[in-house]
Amino acid sequence: MAALIEARDLTKKYGAHLALDRANLTIEAGRIVGLIGPNGAGKTTALRAILGLTAYEGRLTVLGREPFRDRTALMSEASFIADVAVLPSWLKVDDAIDFVAGVHPRFRRERAVAFLAKTQVRGASRMRELSKGMKTQVHLALTMAIDAKLLVLDEPTLGLDILARRAFYDALVNDYMDESRTIVITTHQVEEVENLLTDIIFIDKGRIVLDTSLEDVASRFNAVAVSADRLDAARALKPFYERHILGKVVLYYENADTGQLGHFGELHTPSVADLFVAKLSGGAA
Amino acid sequence: MNTNLWLIRREFWENRAIWMIPAIFGALLILAALFGQVSIPTLSSHTETRDAGGIFLIVVGLMFYSVMAVYAGWYLLDCLYADRKDRSILFWKSLPISDVQSVLSKLAVALIVIPLVYFVAADVTSLIAAFILSVRARQSLGSALWQPDLWLQIQVLWVYTILVSAIWYLPVVGWLLAVSAWAKRAVILWSVLPALVLYLIERVFFGTHVIAQVLAKRLAGMAPVAYYASKDVFTHDGINATAGDGPGSVWQLIDIRGFFSSPDTWIGAAVGIALIVLAIQLRMRRSEI
Repeated sequence: MAALIEARDLTKKYGAHLALDRANLTIEAGRIVGLIGPNGAGKTTALRAILGLTAYEGRLTVLGREPFRDRTALMSEASFIADVAVLPSWLKVDDAIDFVAGVHPRFRRERAVAFLAKTQVRGASRMRELSKGMKTQVHLALTMAIDAKLLVLDEPTLGLDILARRAFYDALVNDYMDESRTIVITTHQVEEVENLLTDIIFIDKGRIVLDTSLEDVASRFNAVAVSADRLDAARALKPFYERHILGKVVLYYENADTGQLGHFGELHTPSVADLFVAKLSGGAA
Repeated sequence: MNTNLWLIRREFWENRAIWMIPAIFGALLILAALFGQVSIPTLSSHTETRDAGGIFLIVVGLMFYSVMAVYAGWYLLDCLYADRKDRSILFWKSLPISDVQSVLSKLAVALIVIPLVYFVAADVTSLIAAFILSVRARQSLGSALWQPDLWLQIQVLWVYTILVSAIWYLPVVGWLLAVSAWAKRAVILWSVLPALVLYLIERVFFGTHVIAQVLAKRLAGMAPVAYYASKDVFTHDGINATAGDGPGSVWQLIDIRGFFSSPDTWIGAAVGIALIVLAIQLRMRRSEI
């Protein structure tokens, strides 16, 4: 089966600035992918390109379509939440449901209504009268009632408190995700999404630095804490990043011989956050 | 209900002013008819009676038309800008609605829906005000305000005016839409600044006034093209030229053939369509500010 999203040499210039620089990425159906990068790395630009919101150079297909040329058709099979604060302030909750039901062929009204019935949100309220958390619930109710093959979330929980963030991800995993869907998500709070992701893509300065599944991460990357006296021997095995913590040094390895590494201490799989910092600040160590 | 109708309905949700301004304006006029000073000399001849009725209907209509022109201009300038400013464009673009559809829905609201709302508001206001005035000044006004054929002619006149305005002002409409789709801030300033700069450049460097003339002709030049200029509506030669002959006199006022055969009409329409296409292209490429 063809990949759900396939980008080859995806490039986007803003004047002289390269927001995306010949980026290549592949996202398969049924995955939950975290697109992770520092500010200004090109995450949002990549998502905009995938959603057909911006023109680009290079080759990009999403659900077999060219997003920019075919945005309308794409949006009947894909949906997105570009942070939660974008529902217009004048819109009533009931009107929003009516409108989406009216224009979207894959919207299931009863699902949205059932989801909102579990919340404090009243249908007669305008968005401006709702708290941020409630707006999130409305947006989620609208989006999750769409039978979409692809859901894109760009910093979906920005500005929410921890309770609302937790509720957002719980609803996403429990009520929405199944094997027929694919989710692409960007966020600053990597720790929060780490245990729901199946794949990670690191992006930096417009280029894809890492594109892998989390199972792969476990077999490919190792970290080991080494005491100072054995540091030189451990360094000989070519770690790509070092981190100094409390008198110990944690060394990060890619595709290293675990048998050899094991002599220096207990091996562990780096967390996504650690791997991210290691990959982006380490370079070639 | 199809997507286009939902888009129109959406505009009513967002812009309650579409019906609130004409409603409030009509209410003010009715209050004026109720409590204002009525001092009308007794109409002695049949012609004077016809004129009084015609003037009443046309003045009410013109007032609504003027308010509508200002509001429609503002609506066009705001409609593709507001949702970029509050970022809700990201919500609308997450739905299977094309940018062509969404821009055309705003165009339809500005050129058809808003004029129709004002048309109905003007009629309702005229009816109520005519009733009040005939009760308050039965002696002088007599039957002046209740001439069915005159009412009918005014309907024709305004439907014609809505239609030719939509075509004549298409370049202005397209320009406002393009600014609305493009500007990052200060839409009002951007809507007039380029014309002002071009005008000054031309004046300083070439000493001519071509741009000013073109603009003046577009903004103020519809009446000579769309109506018979010699027939002033406020004289006997105008709408009441064939007074007593029943409906038909309005046809001596509106110059359908003249309007549709004027090159100015079609050059303007072509420029307007080009600007609307530009606005759609900008809409596809610009998201939030």
